[in-house]
Amino acid sequence: MSISDCISALFGNGSQANVRIMQNIRVPRIIAAIVAGAGLSLSGLIMQTNLNNYMASPSTLGITNAAVFGANVSIIVFAGGFLNTGNNLSSYMAGTNPYATSAVAFVFSILSILLILGLCRIRSFSPGVLVLSGIAIGSVWTAATTIMQFYATDVGLSAAVIWSFGDLGRATYETDLIMTVVLFAALIFFMLMSQKYNAMLSGDETATSLGINVKTLRFVSLLIASLFIAVSVSFLGTIGFVGIICPHIAKKLFGQNHKVSIPASALTGSILLLCADSLSRTIGNGSALPVGAITSLLGAPFFVALILSRRGKHA
Amino acid sequence: MLEIKDLHFGYDKGKNKVLNGINLTLEEGKIGILLGRNGAGKTTLFKTILGIEKPGSGDILIQSKSILGLSYKERAKQISYVPQLVNFGDLTVYETILTGRIPYFGFSAGKEDHEEVKKVISEMSLEELSEKSTEKLSGGERQKVAIARAIVGKPKLIVFDEPTGNLDLSNERLLIEETKKLSKEYGITILCSLHNLNEAVELGDSFFFMDEGVVKYSGGNELFTEEVIEDIFKVNVKVVNIENKILITGE
Repeated sequence: MSISDCISALFGNGSQANVRIMQNIRVPRIIAAIVAGAGLSLSGLIMQTNLNNYMASPSTLGITNAAVFGANVSIIVFAGGFLNTGNNLSSYMAGTNPYATSAVAFVFSILSILLILGLCRIRSFSPGVLVLSGIAIGSVWTAATTIMQFYATDVGLSAAVIWSFGDLGRATYETDLIMTVVLFAALIFFMLMSQKYNAMLSGDETATSLGINVKTLRFVSLLIASLFIAVSVSFLGTIGFVGIICPHIAKKLFGQNHKVSIPASALTGSILLLCADSLSRTIGNGSALPVGAITSLLGAPFFVALILSRRGKHA
Repeated sequence: MLEIKDLHFGYDKGKNKVLNGINLTLEEGKIGILLGRNGAGKTTLFKTILGIEKPGSGDILIQSKSILGLSYKERAKQISYVPQLVNFGDLTVYETILTGRIPYFGFSAGKEDHEEVKKVISEMSLEELSEKSTEKLSGGERQKVAIARAIVGKPKLIVFDEPTGNLDLSNERLLIEETKKLSKEYGITILCSLHNLNEAVELGDSFFFMDEGVVKYSGGNELFTEEVIEDIFKVNVKVVNIENKILITGE
């Protein structure tokens, strides 16, 4: 489709196929890239600040592992049959209930979040305990997924594997709306807390001495960030590295003041995911590659460079 | 005036006792120095004063009013903290000092908060560093910014946790002068823990020697005798008096 065809189709002009592709597939996909990119990046930033760990990302607390497990339960155990990758028009809207797998993935994500935050609430609720709990519980979900996949049928296994690829093609206007509502709620809360996050950069003791109830703020912030991750991963699958790269780019460009780095991270995430999605459709030779694979491919070298530059800094 | 009355605290729900009945009185606008070996309970005492840990029993009073029942915010308006390891993240000096006004503004800084920050920056001669990233500051400059952040909230008490621990000699001198200024010019009461006894003698008005979670000796610089130091630190030192200045050697 040419650019003029795209614009015409966007306003309902041109061939029926073009209008359908543009309005039902491309637009929800672009909105999903903007919203999911912003939310994942924002969640990554909040995790990095609250866990006092510059390597923290949406996957640190094992939420994505829990979502993948939930999706596998739906597909393999309950035969959710969510095979829609967004690449094939004939399979678009396939399945009796397209939200079944997402719903189960979401339920397990929330269970995992509550389990980790609950455990840490009982204990000291220190960032170190949180990260270790996240890694441990994430490993349990991964192990359980592997065992389930071992007993799955060929069709179930392939459906489960396809689901785990991050794919913006699954987005619909309904899923975009849900993600947008959660994103804006999170954005407002994080912006209101931006000065408190600035204080947290000095450590828990100093932040407490500045009048902040650090444990409660950390709990609520991580819960809200996790909620967006759960919604996003349940609808779109695993999209790696956006949540770790983009906050670092934003902080590098605009500094660490959260009043600026929060909107800057959201914007950077949207741009990166939009670019990665365009790239995935361009190099896919007719079919879109999973965007999660593209973001990871782009992200891994950046991540290594980041580690090396940090090492140099502290050497 | 700061008063601490029979303060008890233990980690793991009181099982591992660290503070075993702290009693301490520090006059308003004076500098009190906490001294003692590692593990004597100095840092834990600070944590209970700041509200990071809740004491099992006892009371902490500022100007005869208990602070234990206060919210984090209300307590922060009365007490500020200058830690040993000063780390602000990659914020500018101005942004860092502004966080000292959080107890007053909550979500977003108002005109009055910005005016207070500018006033403190001017008083502490930090104008040139104002827009510089705190990551690019020297150890002494960072301590100065930490002090600026502590006083911008207009506290009645500032708690210093071993502030000279990571500083070279020139920055150490600078910090001692700044701290004395806080007490004299701003009338702020200061409670500070130190390891260096000579620094303590130079800086303090009152001294509290801690051992096993209690204040074993409290008073003025007459406490700096070889017997008291040996009892607290288990080391032999020589205390000499040169022109009315106490010097402790052999530490």
